[in-house]
Amino acid sequence: MNRFLVDGTNLILQLALDAAAERQRVSAHNLANVNTPNFKRQEVSFEEKLKAALFAQPKLQLTRTHEKHLPRELELSDLQHEVVTDKSTSMRPDDNNVDIDREMVLMAMNQMHFNAVTQVLNNRYSALRYILQEGRR
Amino acid sequence: MKMFQAMQVSASGLTAERLRLDLIASNIANAHTTRTETGEPYRRKTAVFAAVLAEAGQAGEGVRVTAIRTDPTEPRLEYDPTHPDANEEGYVAYPNINVVQEMVDLVTAVRSYEANVTVLNAGKNMFLKALEIGRG
Repeated sequence: MNRFLVDGTNLILQLALDAAAERQRVSAHNLANVNTPNFKRQEVSFEEKLKAALFAQPKLQLTRTHEKHLPRELELSDLQHEVVTDKSTSMRPDDNNVDIDREMVLMAMNQMHFNAVTQVLNNRYSALRYILQEGRR
Repeated sequence: MKMFQAMQVSASGLTAERLRLDLIASNIANAHTTRTETGEPYRRKTAVFAAVLAEAGQAGEGVRVTAIRTDPTEPRLEYDPTHPDANEEGYVAYPNINVVQEMVDLVTAVRSYEANVTVLNAGKNMFLKALEIGRG
């Protein structure tokens, strides 16, 4: 992988964007089913997994250039968000557990999170562009 | 692509709620229909919603109307011997429609429709924001 353009931070930001997009889809799914009896809401788990993966990263990283090299415990690039179904609650007599207010708040939060991550990525890329352009003079 | 899938999920919600609105409109419009093609009074219609689920660990794919159910409750009998559809005893069978209940359903359907529109717009804004990546 090209270390110059895709470093660890960019990779994490990319994964975070993926997770936020999936979270948006799950919000859409939950709100589309607000009137479906027996429906149980879904959610995306990503931040906990990322935290675990970051803590599991060894201080000294060795690059694998051969398939028979020992693998690291957890490759950051293998990290994936996970969709889980929340079966523990019930909001209504028909066993639907979509709380429309909470769902809307979560969606608004997710949207701001997505915008924030996009902003950070943009800042990184504009710094990169600045370096490239100024070095040319 | 996930972002477009999110919009399709919202679209499925919009379609389902719209159908529910159509049924409510039909119910209210036919609240006094004593004669249908079958010769019986009109019967209340409701939509049966079901979630479209992908395999475990995958995000669901929205909502689907699996059936339009006809409410089996008995028609309401009203005494009116002059009515052309009155039976031998002078009673007219009116549809089993409670307008108050239909109005409540109408409000929930409209609000759910609006919620789906909000989600759709949120997804659209996210997509537009993603297009700005790298533009500087």
